[in-house]
Amino acid sequence: MTRQDIESQASVKQWVAGSVLGHDPAEVRERKLRILADFCAKVEMAPDELVAFCILRKKTTGERFLSVKRREAINNWLDEFAAEQGWTGKEAVVNANVVRSFLIHNGVLIQGRVWRG
Amino acid sequence: MEFKQVVGNRRTIRFFDPNRPVEPEKIQVMLEAANRASRAVNADFAKAIVCYRDELTDEVREALKTPTTTVQIDLAPVTIFWYGDTTFVNGAQDRLKELVDLGALPVTHGWTHPYVDDLVYPQVLEPLSKDALATTWAVSVEAGLAIAQAMLAGVDEGLGVGLHAFNAASAKDVLKVPDHWVPMWILLVGYPAEDPKGGGQRPRRPLSQSFYRGQYGTAWTEIPEVTERLKREGMIQEPMPADASARMQEIKELADRFGLPL
Repeated sequence: MTRQDIESQASVKQWVAGSVLGHDPAEVRERKLRILADFCAKVEMAPDELVAFCILRKKTTGERFLSVKRREAINNWLDEFAAEQGWTGKEAVVNANVVRSFLIHNGVLIQGRVWRG
Repeated sequence: MEFKQVVGNRRTIRFFDPNRPVEPEKIQVMLEAANRASRAVNADFAKAIVCYRDELTDEVREALKTPTTTVQIDLAPVTIFWYGDTTFVNGAQDRLKELVDLGALPVTHGWTHPYVDDLVYPQVLEPLSKDALATTWAVSVEAGLAIAQAMLAGVDEGLGVGLHAFNAASAKDVLKVPDHWVPMWILLVGYPAEDPKGGGQRPRRPLSQSFYRGQYGTAWTEIPEVTERLKREGMIQEPMPADASARMQEIKELADRFGLPL
């Protein structure tokens, strides 16, 4: 899925509408969308699939719940992704949290690192 | 700080300055405030373990998080883990009789050693201690009183505070707490990185929605002069404005500072 393709995804539209992304300057918005697109390419999932990956249904009741293990998997992939991109320090924290912002605005509570430097 | 100002100034702080240390002296003030709290049977219901953030590994802090306790635990320099001791009834007879001897529990109100030994302990305390629900109720209320005093003492010391849930199973592994301690809250402590007033007091409903006179259904009638006095004395402060743009801008700046998702 290309950088252009991801904007047609419902989850990305929700992110843009609900976050600061909709008000960010064009270059900032482009950088964030690029990060998401590159991460999605790494994990071979479209944005909508990435959100769905975090949300499971209980076999007994069908009730939706957020999978801790899958969020841990995403955090591990984000660590790998940041390393592959050569990001370090605050840049690594901020850029990985771009993907977490996307997930948070789609109802997936996911925690990452805090920059305390 | 005046008491009413302390009550009025308290907010749940979620953005702490992670690198400004909290003086142990101030933590001791908070613990002593808890230790001075009202308590039934003069028991030490509230138990606490004070941890400085860097004494807990990243993995441990991660394991302590819950759906509502998130990055604030990474930012707060101090976490106080509060528990309630379900063995409060142990020694209760001796403590009550000590209070009788000191005159804190006066004979004018029926208090004597035989009253403690023959009635209060066997008919009230012992059955209460064997009732799990009643014990949990008693411990929670009594520990809550102590926690509230510690929290307000922290505000009085110029600190930011916030009570939160925590993953009790993970904490038990790390803190080695005994089985008879039941988890209450964690109290995060530090100097606020955000406006200590948090953009204004959180929305509260009028007294009449929760407090009654004589019987349920007869709402407490506010005395306007008292309300006005409490505004002057700082207990009632400006609420968060409906136009949240200033607060949102502050959150954006804090997110930029800490690299948080927005």
